[in-house]
Amino acid sequence: MADVLTIDKLTRRFGGLYAVNNVSFNVAENEILSVIGPNGAGKSTLFKLIASFLRPTSGEVCFKGERISGLAPHIVARKGVVRTFQETTIFRNMSVRENVIIAHHLQSRATLFGYFMGSRNARQDEQSFGESADDILQLLNLDHVANELASNLPHGNLRALGIAIGLATNATVLLLDEPFAGMNHEETMRTVQMVQGVRDRGVTVLLVEHDMAAVMKISDRIVVLNFGEKIAEGTAAEIQHDERVIEAYLGIEDESIGL
Amino acid sequence: MEQAIVNGLYLGSQYALIALGLTLIFALMNVLNFAHGQLYVLGGFITYVVYGQLGLPFVLALVATAVTLALVGAAIEKFLFRPVIRRSVREESTMLLAAAIAFFLDAVILLLFGEKQRGVPKIMDGLLNWDFRIVMPYDRILIGVLSIFIIVGFILYMQYSKPGRAMRALAQDRVAAQLMGVRVDRYSMIGFALGAMLAGVVGGLLVTITGVNSGIGGPISIKAFMMVMIGGAGVISGAIAGGFILGMMESVGLFYLSSYGDITYLIIFASLMVFLAIRPQGLMGKPWG
Amino acid sequence: MMPGKLAKTAGFLIYAAILLILVPRLIDSYERWDLYYTLTSVALLSIASAGVWLTFFIGRINIGQAAYALIGGYVSAVMVVDHGISFWWTLPAAGLFCAVVSVFVGLPILRLRGVYFAMVTLVFTEVAKMVALALPITHGASGIVNIPLPGALEIFGFTLIPDFNTLDNSRRGFYFLSVVLMLICFLGMYRLVHSRMGRLCFSLQQNEELASSIGVNISYLRIVAYAISSFLGGIGGAIFAAISQSVYPSSFAVADSINFMLNCFLGGLGYVFGPMLGTFVLYFGWDWLFQTGKYQLLIFSSILIALMLVLPNGLLSIRLPGWKKNG
Repeated sequence: MADVLTIDKLTRRFGGLYAVNNVSFNVAENEILSVIGPNGAGKSTLFKLIASFLRPTSGEVCFKGERISGLAPHIVARKGVVRTFQETTIFRNMSVRENVIIAHHLQSRATLFGYFMGSRNARQDEQSFGESADDILQLLNLDHVANELASNLPHGNLRALGIAIGLATNATVLLLDEPFAGMNHEETMRTVQMVQGVRDRGVTVLLVEHDMAAVMKISDRIVVLNFGEKIAEGTAAEIQHDERVIEAYLGIEDESIGL
Repeated sequence: MEQAIVNGLYLGSQYALIALGLTLIFALMNVLNFAHGQLYVLGGFITYVVYGQLGLPFVLALVATAVTLALVGAAIEKFLFRPVIRRSVREESTMLLAAAIAFFLDAVILLLFGEKQRGVPKIMDGLLNWDFRIVMPYDRILIGVLSIFIIVGFILYMQYSKPGRAMRALAQDRVAAQLMGVRVDRYSMIGFALGAMLAGVVGGLLVTITGVNSGIGGPISIKAFMMVMIGGAGVISGAIAGGFILGMMESVGLFYLSSYGDITYLIIFASLMVFLAIRPQGLMGKPWG
Repeated sequence: MMPGKLAKTAGFLIYAAILLILVPRLIDSYERWDLYYTLTSVALLSIASAGVWLTFFIGRINIGQAAYALIGGYVSAVMVVDHGISFWWTLPAAGLFCAVVSVFVGLPILRLRGVYFAMVTLVFTEVAKMVALALPITHGASGIVNIPLPGALEIFGFTLIPDFNTLDNSRRGFYFLSVVLMLICFLGMYRLVHSRMGRLCFSLQQNEELASSIGVNISYLRIVAYAISSFLGGIGGAIFAAISQSVYPSSFAVADSINFMLNCFLGGLGYVFGPMLGTFVLYFGWDWLFQTGKYQLLIFSSILIALMLVLPNGLLSIRLPGWKKNG
């Protein structure tokens, strides 16, 4: 499998503090790769750097061999790297279906003026987006709440909607920020299935997560950060037996790693 | 040049006081108080009545102004902003309420005091003349010094008094302050009263120099907005810096460019917009967005 | 879908008929010519307010519309008076000029949000006034006066619009012009808001970060919306200058900027036709209170404050709380 994302010596400094320090790893096509680490390890900063919401102090991120660091976020999204958010960020005052439809923005062929005039492209767009949205909503079990206002959704569905939005962008690489946070076991397992469903559609998934059980279950490979540095990389089995990882987690959340 | 700098300091001290009140209200309640200039005008007229018309001592007039404006401010917060903030879904509504209050105060001031420019007797005669390089009437010096005292007093109050600390906590993080037991309603009201009082006191101070008229409320508000933006909204040090910077720019600009008419203000406005484009959070504001 | 669409079209046509046929008849039969001027003003102000509404729609509080109305007024006046160009050409020129200016102004300032954007646009209103005072082309404080009435608009020898000087009542001419433009403007706004572009704008209002992560070019969209808004401000200002046959640096000032915003708000920010209703209510309310003499502003502002207390979310919030319902 070819690498879609190459993270090369990525560094981001805030004042004197290294939030991300000299981190390098690759993401292969169609894999699920998780980034884990104790609180404050720099996971969220790493995500922002990859999606180009932040500029790296040094180092770079390449997507299919092309440098994407430093580009505007919407350009990075256009190339195929899309980030969903840690907070349950959605368009609150739109219906669930509208949320997903609008996320198809990148596939639109009509211009703004075309939409205004209702050109043929615009009408075709509307129709295909609608169909695709229904498809996605079904995949993520959201079809029964499609016409609800997004702000009225219960917590678990919100997360699913976030993933649906990411999926609708037709991204090559989807960055999921803590998709399991605040969920009970049952919800987590359902979301794990969802993420696997996403991958089965050919999407490469990069996720940041606290929930070790879910991460171990879902990930093809895992990257471990501590104090901004990469301390380990490998399969779930390898990570579980890595001394530095155990050390980093000891006393913090030693039971949650499932040792 | 010396003259321009001294004028700038004098002007800046007044401006800083106005900006302090505005920024305090903004920091506490996230309200952009359009009526700030009107509060200033109201203060000027109260001093005019007590000192100029009733002939009572200036200090007494100033105290009366401060008390009245504090009451007006408290009432505006309690009866107008508080209920609207509680019920509105968008932050814009407080801005519109503030605009309506500005209209209202304009109307009240016009009805009570008429549209004539009003002045009061000088509080002090004579002038300082240093070799014709700096010429400054004593009353201006006195007013300038008084304002600086008030600024220092305000900073000390915010720094060391219990309400001051509570208000700073509130400004920093409303939710956290609430959890810590700060009574949000109470301190929002105190803050608004304090802000209104500052605006009124400056009006009272300046009425002895430049007089007051009912039409200047709006322009004063706009200047206050500018100072707050220069320094960074909601930051006390920023308001003071913004006040002095604007005062200095005005005075130096008028000194060198007076022959070109209003070009000074045009330059100030334009450079402010450029400055904000580069540094949206102002000099000392926190980055946001 | 179809019956709803039909009903809407019918409603719009009835509304247009009332404005273009019934209202003029009534005015003519009661000989209340002054109402032409009042209604024309409402129509023009609501065009400018519609622009402000659009910036509200992308999540920006715009208190700078008076600047564009002023610029539009001057562009048209200068072209007509100093260069003898027909008013009908200056009208789109004024709008386009404003749109271009707004791109340059908007590029830096649209990055600001909330009260920061509001304050800068307010300052921009002052800047426009001062530029008008300072530039030679605008004739400083004395402004431009004695602007001739619009001449005839002819295309291929066919007179589309007659010369306003030949009309027995030029106010009537301006009324028709303004109302027609207002109808076009709001039809366009309705279309825009309900097209995909409207939904993109709406997504900006709610969450710019998410919008950009799904690939929306937020800075481009913001500029487009702001340019349209400024275009409308320029058009409104240009016709105003033509009606009053004069334009001064103080023709549109901070108070007007605030009024445009009030119009939108009063009508309700979640409703495309809000600015039209808001302008109508506010303008007629103000006009009607004229009889109270010196208490006009006092009563007017008291009512405004009371309205804010009772309906903090706008007049139309009574029945149209959200975006969905107006679809």
